[in-house]
Amino acid sequence: MLRGRRAFGRLGIAVLVPLVVLGACGKDDNKNKAAEGGSTNGKKTAVLGFVGPLTGDSANLGVNIRDGAKVAIDEWNKKGGPITYQLKEFDTQGAPEQAQGQKDKFIPDSSILGIVGPAFSGETKAVLPDLEQAGLVMVSASATNAALPTIVPNSKVFHRIIADDDVQASGVADYVTKVIKPKKVALINDNTEYGKGLWEGVVKLLTAAKVDTSTTDSIDPKSQDFSATVNKVKAAKVDMVFYGGYYSEAGRLKKQLTDAGVTAKFISGDGSLDQGFVTSSGAAGGEGALLTCPCRLATADLPGKAGEFAKNYKALNGRDPGTYSSEGYDAASILIAGIEAGNDTRAKLLSYVDTLGSFDGVSKTIQFAPNGNIKAGDVFVYEVKGGKLTELGRTSELAK
Amino acid sequence: MHHDIQFCFTCLRDQFWSQTLDGVTLGAIYALIALGYTLVYGVLKLINFAHSEIFMIGVFAALFTLHALGMEPADPAKGGLALVFTLAAMTVVAMVASGGAAVAVERIAYRPLRRRGAPRLAALITAIGVSLFLQELFAARYGRNILGFPRVMAKSHLASVAGADVRSDKLLVIFGALVLMLALDRFVALSRLGRGIRATSQDPETAALMGVDIDRVILLTFLLGGMLAGAAGTLYGVFFESARYNIGFLPGIKAFTAAVLGGIGNIRGALVGGLALGLLENYGATILGGQWKDVFAFSVLVLVLMFRPTGLLGESLGRARA
Repeated sequence: MLRGRRAFGRLGIAVLVPLVVLGACGKDDNKNKAAEGGSTNGKKTAVLGFVGPLTGDSANLGVNIRDGAKVAIDEWNKKGGPITYQLKEFDTQGAPEQAQGQKDKFIPDSSILGIVGPAFSGETKAVLPDLEQAGLVMVSASATNAALPTIVPNSKVFHRIIADDDVQASGVADYVTKVIKPKKVALINDNTEYGKGLWEGVVKLLTAAKVDTSTTDSIDPKSQDFSATVNKVKAAKVDMVFYGGYYSEAGRLKKQLTDAGVTAKFISGDGSLDQGFVTSSGAAGGEGALLTCPCRLATADLPGKAGEFAKNYKALNGRDPGTYSSEGYDAASILIAGIEAGNDTRAKLLSYVDTLGSFDGVSKTIQFAPNGNIKAGDVFVYEVKGGKLTELGRTSELAK
Repeated sequence: MHHDIQFCFTCLRDQFWSQTLDGVTLGAIYALIALGYTLVYGVLKLINFAHSEIFMIGVFAALFTLHALGMEPADPAKGGLALVFTLAAMTVVAMVASGGAAVAVERIAYRPLRRRGAPRLAALITAIGVSLFLQELFAARYGRNILGFPRVMAKSHLASVAGADVRSDKLLVIFGALVLMLALDRFVALSRLGRGIRATSQDPETAALMGVDIDRVILLTFLLGGMLAGAAGTLYGVFFESARYNIGFLPGIKAFTAAVLGGIGNIRGALVGGLALGLLENYGATILGGQWKDVFAFSVLVLVLMFRPTGLLGESLGRARA
């Protein structure tokens, strides 16, 4: 996911968070030394870094990933093996320029063997060249911009366990043309790189499918008032509205459309898949909205590993997993599996992830393509029912 | 993907009345907030950038009133007397909270600077500092996510006038804002305290020599502006149903723009500027698309200022007559 928006006035937090992180590091000085080769009382410590937004407008998504990674670390530490795992957190606020600042902390920190993240595409773009140079492997749970594998030619460190925006756009288009079957649609975006990127993909595919895509608009995500757009959609008498952007604005837009009496189906992408959508829309205003994601929300009622993960997540973090939580868990699990197999340097861990083969994750079975993209490409559809995000299924199955 | 600018004048023709109604609704709120900028500018020649956070405090105060009344986000909207009581309680609490906060900001942040004869620029920087301080304070206390805001008032469709969807909540916002603006206009024009405000804005030194207590006038000015921002916060909360630490930022900037457009320092100018900006935004978005809304509105602002550097009505607060 890519964030183009810039938050304003986060200086206080920007200063505080690193201080807290540094404070935490101070206590663990001995453990860090252990990771660099030495060992105290037979136990080694291995450190992973988390890079993503923990504060800011889209902090929910970063927190979901971090808390997923925490579950993996907690599980291994409870097993009581010879290695103790630790997660160091680097808050980017979802902003590329903040990620630049954090980079100067996690790249020189030689105790860190691998990165869970960066969470958003913008920040991934900002730090990828330096990660490559340092040979520090990254596994992102959520950076979906299609162009990322080409930022650094033949990047070895880049990996993500989520399908990109092009894959999502074709999933959306497939579902829309075969299930919703609209004649005329309104296509709206929030003018951010992520929102517009996904929007462009959907516009292209729906236009090719002979759907009337003449009604388009952009909104200002900082604004509360979308009345100009709502009036435009209402006047165009469309059967469906697609929105590319994030959950807060998606919820407000859906509510204002509903209040204006627009009954067209509302559909949006992974940036909107968060319970914050319903907070924003109100339970009544959000009802019936469809949200897609190349990710699967782990819920306790799912069978097997996913259901078990959801329970463990709730036990550790005190709330249900959110969007990208299971991907965060899988990213950390892959890195930990590598370290468990004896890959205790950055170079060894990088080569382990690069030649992973197949990894049985909670979110899916993970296989990396040579460019670091994931091979699987399932897109899931969720519907807001009774104020909750409810899974309808994979687009490939729904669109038969 | 590059962007061609496409003009759609038929869009404006087709959606004219619905865009006009929504433009007036938002413009009325801009105008109400703009009064706070204009009043303070009138007496102190200070752009009080913290005013957007005074407005934000009003939104939060309105929300907390609902919590205190035991209303949760999922609860049904109120009707009849319960609605009138709830709206009145929210408005009073928000006006007290915002008015109090504005007075506190003046006493703690601005008055000490004036006492020491600090340059105007120092007060301006302080205003920006206070704005950031209040935002971060609320972010630290209530988080950075949107807080759920219960639906107080059903958004009942009353009539369709030439395609415009006339709704109860839009009428509440428009008439609520107009009544408050009219009350302020009369207060400043007719009351003794209002005369003090006008005298101070015309010539503070002479006013002081004539026995006007300048500090008291300044305090009153902040109180009035703050109370109106609190009322605006209530209307904004009822209309948009969300609260967040940075919710004041954009309406604050827009209201400041409206004040300049109408003629800063001029009470009726704030009304004209607010309504004009609300309409310009919606007309611009209709003709050019939402991404050009601000470009359009601010281009018009620049054009207006080129030909009327003091804004549409231009006249200062001091010369506002009964």
